[in-house]
Amino acid sequence: METAKGERWITWIIKISGYSSILFVSLILFFLAREGFPALGEVPLKDLFGARWYPIEGYFGIWPLIFGSVLVTVGALLIGIPFGIGTAVYLSELAPAWIKNILKPIIEILAGLPSVVLGFLGIQLAAPFFRQFLNLPTGLTAFTGAVLLGFIAIPTIVSISEDALNTVPSTYRHGALALGANHWQTIWGVTVPAARSGLLTAVMLGVGRSIGETMAVMMVTGNAPVLPRSLNALFLPARTMTATIASEMGEVATGSTHYHVLFFIGIVLFGISLAVNLTASSLALRSRKRAERLLS
Amino acid sequence: MSAKISVQNLTLMYSDGVESLQNVSIDIIANAVNVLFGPAGGGKSTLLRALNRLNDLADVDTAQGKIVFNEQNILDPATDVIELRRKVGMVFSRPAPLPLSVYENVIYGLRLMGERNKSLLDERVEQSLRQAVLWDEVYDRLNDPGTSLSGGQQQRLCIARVLALEPEVIMLDEPTSALDPVSTAKIEGMLATLKERLTIILVPHNVQQAARTADYAGFFLQGRLVEYAPGKELFLKPREKETQDYVTGRFG
Amino acid sequence: MRFVAARRWLIGFMLLLTACSATPSDSTAPSASTYIQNKGSDTIVNLALAWAEAYQTVKPEVRISVTGGGSGTGLTALISGTVDIANASRKIKAEEIQAAKANGIEPVEHVIARDAIAVIVNPENPIGELSLEQIARIYRGEVNNWSELGGEDRPIVRLSRETNSGTHVYFLEEVVRLGDKENKEIFSADTLLLPSSEGIIAEVSENPNAIGYDGLGYVTPEVKMLAVARTADQPYVLPSVESVNNGQYPISRDLYMYTQTGAPQSVLDYLAWILSPDAQQIVTDLGFVPILSPTAGK
Repeated sequence: METAKGERWITWIIKISGYSSILFVSLILFFLAREGFPALGEVPLKDLFGARWYPIEGYFGIWPLIFGSVLVTVGALLIGIPFGIGTAVYLSELAPAWIKNILKPIIEILAGLPSVVLGFLGIQLAAPFFRQFLNLPTGLTAFTGAVLLGFIAIPTIVSISEDALNTVPSTYRHGALALGANHWQTIWGVTVPAARSGLLTAVMLGVGRSIGETMAVMMVTGNAPVLPRSLNALFLPARTMTATIASEMGEVATGSTHYHVLFFIGIVLFGISLAVNLTASSLALRSRKRAERLLS
Repeated sequence: MSAKISVQNLTLMYSDGVESLQNVSIDIIANAVNVLFGPAGGGKSTLLRALNRLNDLADVDTAQGKIVFNEQNILDPATDVIELRRKVGMVFSRPAPLPLSVYENVIYGLRLMGERNKSLLDERVEQSLRQAVLWDEVYDRLNDPGTSLSGGQQQRLCIARVLALEPEVIMLDEPTSALDPVSTAKIEGMLATLKERLTIILVPHNVQQAARTADYAGFFLQGRLVEYAPGKELFLKPREKETQDYVTGRFG
Repeated sequence: MRFVAARRWLIGFMLLLTACSATPSDSTAPSASTYIQNKGSDTIVNLALAWAEAYQTVKPEVRISVTGGGSGTGLTALISGTVDIANASRKIKAEEIQAAKANGIEPVEHVIARDAIAVIVNPENPIGELSLEQIARIYRGEVNNWSELGGEDRPIVRLSRETNSGTHVYFLEEVVRLGDKENKEIFSADTLLLPSSEGIIAEVSENPNAIGYDGLGYVTPEVKMLAVARTADQPYVLPSVESVNNGQYPISRDLYMYTQTGAPQSVLDYLAWILSPDAQQIVTDLGFVPILSPTAGK
């Protein structure tokens, strides 16, 4: 009698905490929509998707911000994915034990570094270096931000990729080697494909970590809301959506047009990351189904 | 009866010293089923992995002696390991098809060699699967994942992918330990046919299998080769007491 | 003892709650607290808070509440009689004086500190002086290479504080628009908007292409301040406490507090203390320019 009652209670508590996350997400969505959509009424669509962002004088064009975010994130991925997966492959397939014992803690420390510290290093070291090395007008560029974000994503990508690679049965490797595959052919032809869905998860989590990152980006990208004219834009200052919200939300008057537009940027950001997540999870699902068939 | 591979005074030490070979000399007889058996840790697998240098992956501390194959010492650092592994194929105890289709599993080794001729590949797939007694079961599902086959089929697929390289020697390390009796019988029967064309080295997973299949048998105990003789001789009239104790089930 | 202390605290709290304007405390109750309401400019709010806090050690019985909201908000509150002191980063407007008089209130102006903005470049940059007009053209994006100003052949990298900074707005109005209210020019889109003063100093000290601006108090020796002239034919002046106080340095403004005539003695005491060296040291610490000759009111 008593235990049955206790069990019912526990079931209820678990249920409520399960439902509460749905509730929170919908509340956040509702709040975002309520604060953000009025922007569509207050700013003509043509101006909202205009080329100039200067909110204190009523220029609310968010294209430069969208482009800034895309530029920095894609750049970060181009750096983070090869480096991250390469490091993971090295650690799990090639590195001798003693190097592994040194490298893994270092990567974990890197994962634990607060992004402000990375941003500081970015300002003090990375930006001056890139300015001189690449002969740029300034080192505070989308590229610097991308490198930093890449570094923020790398530890996540490395540790999850390495786990995925380690779960690949060693019989695969031996089988391939016994068939005359060399080390590289075994890694790229057998081990990495077998760990594919785990690697994809690693990349997605890495992307998640870097897209949401604000502080480090704000410190090193220069925050100039410029609409890119060429690929060269990667090496010019850029302003991301997250940096814009972070630096302007604190001072903006509640209920003003600027306030609504900032929330609208939040909606755009939410939409973009939702799209990325959906694509990724459908990709992961598809490859997992295949992997399940292959590995079961 | 000629020696396909001649192991001469081979001593192997792992750096952790767990399993090793002590001064082993053995002639692997061509076109025969050479059975290497004995209790676990006796050095059978170590020897197999030395024969195709797969133990390059492990921490082998010292290697003394010679393994002569095709008039070459394969322990020579200059040996083309890749070439060696194609000629001395290996099948593992746990069937592990690669995460590829049945077809791609069979031709994996050929692809690595850069073979692109589609009709040759098709031909080789059918030939290898027929030799592995698998063709009739999978000819209509060559594009299915290799892992979708049953355990016994998977092991024969692994044998087929080795055969596709047309090796001179095929080594099987407890190939039936994970299989049911029917699949086991199929594989044992296949070996009897295969030995007409190539040399077989089998580490059986019990004494019964050793007795059933052996043309020649070597009994390994704690890194030593205790006795090596034609199968009938060794199982019916073992010379050494240790061998006798083991085959009659008195220890092990 | 404890009880008395608690009651004192309670009275203070009630005064806070009712938010009534302070009246001079009568001498019969030495422990009774006085209450000063201080509201207005966001530029000044941190300074005002620091003063209010420091004043606690000078006169613990005086409680000062400081709120921001902007110069206009503060002055409106003064006009309607709800605050004792209004903080303003601009002079009171004629219509505000009229409105106050209509309410029977006579505003009194006190300059309490000055705010100067230094224009800074890298020490390697040979340029040492620019006119306001030249600086404006740089920040509007009309001049893009230092060679156009007689310097080296280098691209100009413009640095600014974020748009939420009061300094940004002041620089926009007084420099980019040259103080012309009709002028609708804005910063060039490729102006780097850095989130902190330190960020600007760091980039300027490192990058010979850069130009930036910052409150005089934030400037460190690693960067070079430019001498600025109001117009090209007037003298070029480096920012300093002296040149700001004598009005020669063009990019500076006075910061004000407004009271009404007949303000309570506690308020006058507070304003007098603000002009003391101790209080003016706080001005320096917060990056503003202290007033040299303490002359309250005009």
